[in-house]
Amino acid sequence: MNWILPEGASLDFEGVAGPVRIVRGLGGGTQGQVYEVELEGERLALKWYLPACIARDRGLERRLGESIRATAPTDAFLWPIALLRASASSRPLIRIREESFGYLMPLRPASYVGASEHAAGRLAIGLRQVLRACFFLADAFHALHLAGLCYKDVSLGNLFLEPGSGRILICDNDNVAVDGSGEGAVLGTPGFMAPEVLLGQARPGADSDLFSLAVLLFRLLTRHDPLRGQMELAIRCLDEPARRRLCGEDPVFIFDPVDARNRPDPIEHAAALITWPIYPRPLQALFEQTFCRGMKQPSRRTLTGQWKQELARTLDSRVLCVSCDQENFRPAGGSRPCWSCGTPLPEGVSLTLPRGTVAAAPDNELHPHHFDALAGEDLRHPIARVVAHPQDPRRLGLRNLSAEAWSAEAADGRPHRVAPGESCSLAAPIRIHTPAGPIAVQRPARPAPAA
Amino acid sequence: MPFPDVKLANRPLHFIYLCDCSGSMAASGKMQALNQAIRQSLPGMAAVARDNPEARVLVRAVSFADHAAWHIQTPTPVDQLEWRDLQAGGITAMGEALQLVAAALQTPPMEVRALPPVLVLISDGQPTDDFAAGMAALLRMPWAQKAVRLAIALGHDADLEVLQRFIGSDPSPTAGRSPRRPLQASNATSLAQYIQWASTAVVGAASMPASRVQETPLEAPAGNIPLPDLPPTVLDPTDDVGLTVW
Repeated sequence: MNWILPEGASLDFEGVAGPVRIVRGLGGGTQGQVYEVELEGERLALKWYLPACIARDRGLERRLGESIRATAPTDAFLWPIALLRASASSRPLIRIREESFGYLMPLRPASYVGASEHAAGRLAIGLRQVLRACFFLADAFHALHLAGLCYKDVSLGNLFLEPGSGRILICDNDNVAVDGSGEGAVLGTPGFMAPEVLLGQARPGADSDLFSLAVLLFRLLTRHDPLRGQMELAIRCLDEPARRRLCGEDPVFIFDPVDARNRPDPIEHAAALITWPIYPRPLQALFEQTFCRGMKQPSRRTLTGQWKQELARTLDSRVLCVSCDQENFRPAGGSRPCWSCGTPLPEGVSLTLPRGTVAAAPDNELHPHHFDALAGEDLRHPIARVVAHPQDPRRLGLRNLSAEAWSAEAADGRPHRVAPGESCSLAAPIRIHTPAGPIAVQRPARPAPAA
Repeated sequence: MPFPDVKLANRPLHFIYLCDCSGSMAASGKMQALNQAIRQSLPGMAAVARDNPEARVLVRAVSFADHAAWHIQTPTPVDQLEWRDLQAGGITAMGEALQLVAAALQTPPMEVRALPPVLVLISDGQPTDDFAAGMAALLRMPWAQKAVRLAIALGHDADLEVLQRFIGSDPSPTAGRSPRRPLQASNATSLAQYIQWASTAVVGAASMPASRVQETPLEAPAGNIPLPDLPPTVLDPTDDVGLTVW
């Protein structure tokens, strides 16, 4: 890589007080180059634009300034912190003649990896973490859209995942603009772009973000593309005109309940056929909403709030197969066999809360939104977590993650105190009283068959 | 519990270098510079291939001097590629090289479904054989018509007109550098930049669509793959100390 900024040098910039030390180049693309830098002892990232990119996007500098003043909608965004221009003393050290600028943003921790690693099947990650990543993604766009902004260029390329936690980071926030302003040069990434934007009939905005978000969620959940089925197989050379037909002129969802022209091929598109049936019907319906009715009617697309609600509910329904230990999602009021091994999923313990029901499976969590009708879905501050007994993993308990003590009530009515950090077994109590609200422990009428 | 062991189906992306190895390449270290440029570009190319799970990037190379021959005949995944040095010596059988590539782009051996191939022709001189016949054979192949064809001219003796015929007509009205015209490398640094650009930015564009900006003519693309911006002219600090200019 030919680095524009000299690695190892300390440069003065207009826009920040102290000198910025260029630690090392991290990567470069067609827009610019990204560096790890140090400013007053803090490690940050610096994106420096190529002149061609600045020339193409006249509003870039002003838009960045507005984003910097508005601050990040949530901490999932690697949001611009400060706009930098080279000072007179630094200019000779910058290895391009044309005037240019860049911006500082938080540095992505090494524990976050590109979402394409997951798409390529190279990431050790569980279904729970993938669903959490989907939730955090929907949550980030929810906050962005509520702030009146739109992202415009959602794709696998600007999403990073932390496989252990499912937390996400969104980079390349320099296209963010006020929704409807029609500002900025970017149109999106084909494959993620809404059909109306790809065909040049509309400018990217919050409605087209909803389409791109659904594509990204589908890609994360199924490791497949929502529009690549039989109709893709008919294409020999997958080039730009072909993508335009497939994603713009005649886009058909591979699981469209009515239009069966683009069903997945059992061999070429096996990923979609294996993963799609894992997910509960209400979650599948949200994809149909966006990719069927919403394909041509942007206002009908699934909203960020709907995604958050259904993804959170799906996580609540997570159970483990007694035979193969694989994660499953138990449909409300019904049962089904394990998607992986076919063993019927037994009716297990569940926790009934003022707002919703959570299956008692290790790692499932209770959140404020399970108790408070006014709290929006949020997975960042769990109140309780289902844990397996260290000696006997079949015995489940509920750990108190809150700062206040609970009172667990057994069948005989006697209360037991559960201090913060302690766990109470789910075998005995019928009800747990917490300051957030009551937790009713529901056990199946007959004991579950021994594993 | 692991996510189901499945992944997105991918398509092959054939990347073929056509390298001039005529005797004049031995002058002023051009051959060594080309070998170095390609070798140095491989890690970046492997990283792009890794980031594009929809593509399976496979590399081949043809060398041409008195005759054309496969330097790397088997389509090789880029992370498994070892670049053996090309040797200069002979005349410029460019037409024969095009015939070889044309045969390789026939189906079979080409897959029925693929991404647009990328062909990169690098030359410092003029063809000494029947270029027109080779070009005609190449363009009879549908995969060659669909291919992204790039040309790098080494030094000032390269036949720009021939290289332009390889690329196809140049639709861009503006003067200056354009990926639809031969890229003129006048020293080792600019050669390395162009090789790096072709093996990373262009491979990325051909395998997975990149962000699109307003100015990209969505209605009438200039080719079947929108080409990324050329690398910026980065001022090389070593320029001051005198660099071999071809």
